[in-house]
Amino acid sequence: MPHDDARADRIDGIAVRGVRLARGERVVLRDVSFDAPKGAVTALVGPSGAGKSTLLRCLNRLLVPEAGSVALDGEEIGALDPCALRRRAGLVGQTPTMLPGSVRENLAYGLDPAAAAEQPRLTRALADAGLDAAFLDRPAGELSGGERARVALARALTREPELLLLDEPTAALDAAVARHVGATLAALARAGLGIVIATHDLPFAAEIADQVVALRDGAATIGSPAELLA
Amino acid sequence: MSQPLTQLLASAAFALAAAALAYRQRLHLSRALLLASLRAAVQLAVVGALIALVFRVPALAIAFVAVMVATASLTAGSRIRALPGARRIAVAAIALPAIAAVGVLLAVGAFAATPRATIPTAGILIGGAMLSTTLTGRRLVEGLAEGIDEIEARLALGDRARDALAPLCRRAITAALVPLIDQTRSAGLVTLPGTFVGLVLGGASPATAARVQLTVLLTLLLVQLLSALLTAELVTRAATLPGERVLTL
Repeated sequence: MPHDDARADRIDGIAVRGVRLARGERVVLRDVSFDAPKGAVTALVGPSGAGKSTLLRCLNRLLVPEAGSVALDGEEIGALDPCALRRRAGLVGQTPTMLPGSVRENLAYGLDPAAAAEQPRLTRALADAGLDAAFLDRPAGELSGGERARVALARALTREPELLLLDEPTAALDAAVARHVGATLAALARAGLGIVIATHDLPFAAEIADQVVALRDGAATIGSPAELLA
Repeated sequence: MSQPLTQLLASAAFALAAAALAYRQRLHLSRALLLASLRAAVQLAVVGALIALVFRVPALAIAFVAVMVATASLTAGSRIRALPGARRIAVAAIALPAIAAVGVLLAVGAFAATPRATIPTAGILIGGAMLSTTLTGRRLVEGLAEGIDEIEARLALGDRARDALAPLCRRAITAALVPLIDQTRSAGLVTLPGTFVGLVLGGASPATAARVQLTVLLTLLLVQLLSALLTAELVTRAATLPGERVLTL
């Protein structure tokens, strides 16, 4: 998607400008710029080690780039309270980690007591992630890998974020569940959520992405799914 | 034959017997057993001579305790060297609780303020603090390396770095205290603790030995808990990066 720096502060969503980050000697990201507007799905694609997960973590300040800037709704994320930012931009990691306790406790983790007591909020998030309400009282530690991935997604959704940052969301899912989750994400994006997905699942990206950011050797190429995933 | 000579010969004979048995069983441990025995003999001889000197010049007791703290800190610090400021963390977590407890015991008159009472007491408390610091610190370092997914999940859900690290800290502290709790619970039943044995061999009555042992064991409970808490606090600070991020190891 074309962009120019003058417009960066007006983006309703995430605006990444000239981000550079090195891990030791290796430059993982060099001069990466793109917009990830709300109401759209942006797919970060590229080979393993291309920096997709690293870039995703730069969007909620789990990592801080050495150069460049990231803005959310026109505000530098460096100026925002990191914890408040991470509630607005929910990240679901590649390894879906369950916290001790039930699925309900996982979904309610960190919510204020009033929000945590809202059963519909929890069941809606579960349903969006492809799980029924019976899961609420299951011990999270006993779930399968695919169920964990969906609970982790539901846990991010209970916070009602403005942005969803997903690292390989289909890695632990079978094809049918992946399709369901994909349809949910597309619907959430249509409802105004900004979604950024790091994935190597190109068919999945082609199906739900509105734009693609292809990373190779630390540099980004931006285009439509038809241009970059054909 | 005099008793001291008999003791030396008997202990040397036991060490040689262990080495010979290991050799016969092809365990490749003979050399290590002999070297460890020799090392222990040299170290204890030097410490014996030094403590004899300290008994004659009480002011040296401070230097002696300082050396104990430094050695314990180097040992514990090396176990958590993956962290920035590992040695400083170890010095603080070991010295503050151990020295404060020795000070309290001396101030209330539980032990005489003499090198003869102070040095062994300080030694036991510093050793306990070292153990607690090492166990807590190692668990934390392992958690920062292997449990980073859970910490990151908590950060991503909006936790402050301190809150995201708190469950790991609690687990590390609990694990570090279990051996001491077991030791305290089984005191006198499974093994006779060192202080008790030493005092009885030295001629003290069993009642006195039991009282002193109890004082040391119960003081250790607080010292080791404080060491574990201090280690967790200092590691939390060392592992917290600006912007509510956590150091990855």
